Amino acid sequence: MFEKLEAYLEEISHFLSGREEREEILSEIKGHILEKAEQELSEVTETSLDKVIAAYGPARRVAEKYLDGHSIIAPAFKRHLFRYTSFLFAVHFLITAVAVIFTKSFLVFPFLLVPRMGVFDALFYLPTAFLYDLGLVTLILYFITRSKKEIKLPWPRFAVDLDEVKRPHRLIFSVLGLGAMLAGTGLTLYLYVRYHSIFFLNLDFPEPRLLFTPETGKWFSLAVIATFAVGAIALCVKFFTSSPWVDVIKNGICVIIVGMLFRLPLDNAFAFSPSARARLSIKYTLMVTLFFISIGFVVDFIKSLVLSGRKKLAKPWGG
Amino acid sequence: MNPEISNFETEMNRGFLSILVLALLEKDMYGYAMVRTIRDMGYEVDENTLYPLLRRLEKNGWIKSKWSVGKDRPRKFYAITDDGRALRAELLGIWKKQDEILKHIMEEKSHV
Repeated sequence: MFEKLEAYLEEISHFLSGREEREEILSEIKGHILEKAEQELSEVTETSLDKVIAAYGPARRVAEKYLDGHSIIAPAFKRHLFRYTSFLFAVHFLITAVAVIFTKSFLVFPFLLVPRMGVFDALFYLPTAFLYDLGLVTLILYFITRSKKEIKLPWPRFAVDLDEVKRPHRLIFSVLGLGAMLAGTGLTLYLYVRYHSIFFLNLDFPEPRLLFTPETGKWFSLAVIATFAVGAIALCVKFFTSSPWVDVIKNGICVIIVGMLFRLPLDNAFAFSPSARARLSIKYTLMVTLFFISIGFVVDFIKSLVLSGRKKLAKPWGG
Repeated sequence: MNPEISNFETEMNRGFLSILVLALLEKDMYGYAMVRTIRDMGYEVDENTLYPLLRRLEKNGWIKSKWSVGKDRPRKFYAITDDGRALRAELLGIWKKQDEILKHIMEEKSHV
């Protein structure tokens, strides 16, 4: 038989799997292609079939025309997807923060279990929690769509409405931002090369006292340098593409960098010997600072994920 | 062709092709023959659009089909049903009404 035709039909068949009338559809397409090749190109050969198949269209598109084309989520509910997910995630975030602060687990049977966890675990738990919330809302909207009932879903408004988020596109901001990031990268790199740390207890240059021990100082310094560098690279890339994935990747890397800092032992991290009480308060101040920085990155990461998802949904279907 | 115009054409063709098929199937025909007949009339139809349309019309009982296994290869012949004729009459009525409205507007414009 004709290999290309069989392969083409096989591909269409793959996309139509599960449909009872698949064999009949394939027979009809096969008959059409063979007849067209015979009538319009005088003979049925691999070459003539190739031309007819190309004109008939890609297998997936052909198959899609036989599918009913029902949306998983009705167009009217699509805007609710991220709105409800944001709302649910805000609750999830709050419970997670409480779980971390009070070192307790929370169970809302059977939907939610927030286990007892540390800050580091929470950083990795939150993006997963967001995906869970997104999946749950999608499932509910899917069932509502399937029910075909005239349901009017409420539209909660938040203080910051993602619909009204306007992303700054002005070149001047990008140039200034890039300048600041490059300056930050350069300065921190210079300090690191010269003093093997960028954290100092005083500013008595050229012999400043270091804040951290060499090992801890190295990792904290490299984290800051890497964060500046990633920011600078992202801004550079944005001159060439407006893809929202640039922010997703940048923020994802920053979350990982800051998250790794939580793994560093802070008990003997300092290069000076403060009193036990001062040591404790410095340690907790550092942890709280790191916590807020990491929350900032996690929020940015999730926001960029949401924005990239929204951009995809906003594209016309089948266009 | 401008992609915007192409999109509009696709939208307009969707309804028109249904009426066209219902009009053509007063006589039993199979898919490829329909494509040829329509093309001979100076109108291009996407082959891969025609067959799913035939399937939908058949599913709704507006046309019926039967396989003919004669000659060199099997062919699926379609024919209009009574329900299909009633639908065709209604669709033609809508189409005529739309045509009248457009003509009326265009005539009014030409007088301004």
